[in-house]
Amino acid sequence: MTLDGTGRQIALAQLRRGQVATVSGLVESAAIDSGRDASQSLVTRLRDLGFVPGARCEVVARMWLGGDPIAVRIGGSTFALRRAEAAAVRVELALGQARDAVARAGSSAVPA
Amino acid sequence: MDATVTPLRIALVGVPNCGKTALFNRLTGSRQKVANYPGVTVERREGERITPDGRGMRVLDLPGTYSLNPTTLDEAITRDVLLGRLADTPAPELVVCVVDAVHLPIGMRLALEVKRLGLPMVLALNRMDVARRRSVHIDAAKLSAGLGVPVVATIAVKRGGADALVEAIEAGRWITPRAFTPAPQEHGAEDAEQMQRDLRGLLAAAGYSPPRENPWSGRIDALLLHPVAGLAVLLAVLFVMFQAVFSWAVAPMDWIKGAMSALGEFTAAHLPAGPLASLLVNGVIGGAGSVLVFLPQIVILFFFILALEDSGYLPRAAYLLDRLMGSVGLSGRAFIPLLSSHACAIPGIMATRTIPNWRDRLTTIMIAPLMTCSARLPVYGLLIAALIPARPVGPFNLQGLVLFILYAAGIVSGLLVAWVMKQFVRGGQYSPLMLELPDFQWPNAGNLVLGLWERVKIFMSRVGGIILALMIVLWFLSSYPEPPPGATGPAIQYSLAGRIGALLEYVFAPIGFNWQIAIALVPGLAAREVAVAALGTVYAMSAAGDDLSAALEPVISSTWSLATGVSLLAWYVFAPQCLSTLAVVKRETNSWRYPLIMAGYLFALAYLASFITFRVVRAWA
Repeated sequence: MTLDGTGRQIALAQLRRGQVATVSGLVESAAIDSGRDASQSLVTRLRDLGFVPGARCEVVARMWLGGDPIAVRIGGSTFALRRAEAAAVRVELALGQARDAVARAGSSAVPA
Repeated sequence: MDATVTPLRIALVGVPNCGKTALFNRLTGSRQKVANYPGVTVERREGERITPDGRGMRVLDLPGTYSLNPTTLDEAITRDVLLGRLADTPAPELVVCVVDAVHLPIGMRLALEVKRLGLPMVLALNRMDVARRRSVHIDAAKLSAGLGVPVVATIAVKRGGADALVEAIEAGRWITPRAFTPAPQEHGAEDAEQMQRDLRGLLAAAGYSPPRENPWSGRIDALLLHPVAGLAVLLAVLFVMFQAVFSWAVAPMDWIKGAMSALGEFTAAHLPAGPLASLLVNGVIGGAGSVLVFLPQIVILFFFILALEDSGYLPRAAYLLDRLMGSVGLSGRAFIPLLSSHACAIPGIMATRTIPNWRDRLTTIMIAPLMTCSARLPVYGLLIAALIPARPVGPFNLQGLVLFILYAAGIVSGLLVAWVMKQFVRGGQYSPLMLELPDFQWPNAGNLVLGLWERVKIFMSRVGGIILALMIVLWFLSSYPEPPPGATGPAIQYSLAGRIGALLEYVFAPIGFNWQIAIALVPGLAAREVAVAALGTVYAMSAAGDDLSAALEPVISSTWSLATGVSLLAWYVFAPQCLSTLAVVKRETNSWRYPLIMAGYLFALAYLASFITFRVVRAWA
């Protein structure tokens, strides 16, 4: 999975702080859903929280040790997701964003 | 509609933080706490409202949930109530689905799911005032047409903010939605995606446009969620809380101490010496009065906890600590119950209902009593004041340092016990974090005052109720049988209590407890602060001569060894001297096994800690 600003798909867990992306889909995750039947799927819960295709999200913060957990702003709410949870969300990086972290200096102005 | 006798059964449903509980308070006028993070509203709250037509409403405030497919216990409760699956709670006759207009999509998705149940429904569109300020556009009439249920705007935090809703309910403007399905469809991926498409269509048809972002929230979160700065802020907040509890409380505590001893002298001076005077001065004033002194510290502690809850900060602390807590097998979500346990383990243990995984939840419950609860403050405060000199140690005060060590000991031992449990109990399913970090708000002064008042009332009723009752019983047991003529020692040693203490002394001698402590620990099983009251009574009753109102602190200071005092402190870090906590554990785990295990392991740790501490301090001092 590469970050080259051309709209390729990566996992939400791989975004850097300050990056904005559009959710393209959810994938099944054995890491978080093993032992659960379909009605209790945590991937479905992610969808219910607003991680649906087309939704725009921004990574507001990442904890150390590889981003576990991260804080994601989506649909006007902010959620804390562990790395394994964020790994189930596939996103498309907005066109034109730089490969490395862009420190957004606290501004929440999101490009149109 | 005919005004039937039974009130209308209404249930409030909504995602966490939508203002549902504020609306509940507005509808029922009851003084319930409005919390700003998921997990506090776990109790089933029911209130009533009289309506002009005479029928009345009974309103049930259901736990906040993101979906009718639950991942936590309290979400399961909401689903079960709506389906009428709970034996003692019939399904509601009307569901009021509360949606925060500022966070419309997530709330409306739940509304679509609830609508599918087929129950009569009204949508309460809450916080329209804030939504307008944030430039949200939504056409309530079109939303109602698209959804097929009445939509009423509410502003739960304003007086009269629920009037339109009450009117709509009274007028019977709630029709059964056309698509009637008697049971929830446990939705798979396609179903969920369809619902999302329906949601988008519905919002588009109603002219929805999302809110403007608030630039300040972003800036504040950049600091509070920063991996280094955020943790520094958290530590600073906890440190300030801790310091404030002790320094701000000094003046009011001295005032109460003075008032109690004046009252004791006044009573002793005006009553003839005898059993009544002894009961009042030793039992009531000496006993219950010793506990009352700690009211200021408890008020300050709760003030900080309630303010932090209301502001929305606590889930951010859970985010920061999730990894650390994960290393000992706890979820970041355990932070909130464990922090609440510093005020009292009972609401802390109840707050564990939001922890989805049973093993995590059980671990959190098992270690909650190790958090230094406010009831230990009277014990710690007394012993530290009596036995630890107020010497400076570097920039700190030795007394403050000892207290800090006791708090830290509670937390560290909790983490260690959790780690041990992790080794022995294999975890089951993955337990998610997926925690919402709600918008910041200034703590509401009204909520804070109400919350504090509730706490003061609870404290005073414990003092006035169980503590007072136990002290009277203890006084009685300590006074009779009376000493035989010609007896030389204090009267209490000949009484029933004295004899029990003498027996227990064999058990406690290896850890340095004298018979007075042994006696005090028995009623002290009911609640931790009772030990202070009991010691007050026991020592007052042993006072040779007429000095009935001798204060407890100087007596301890002059008669106990440092080793005994520190040993008792170590005992109190662990010992489950609180029957109410054990009762709540039984209720929350539905079994006698866990409270018994808890009592067993805590007493064992307490004895071990006291043993080691006593021997070490005695050898070293």
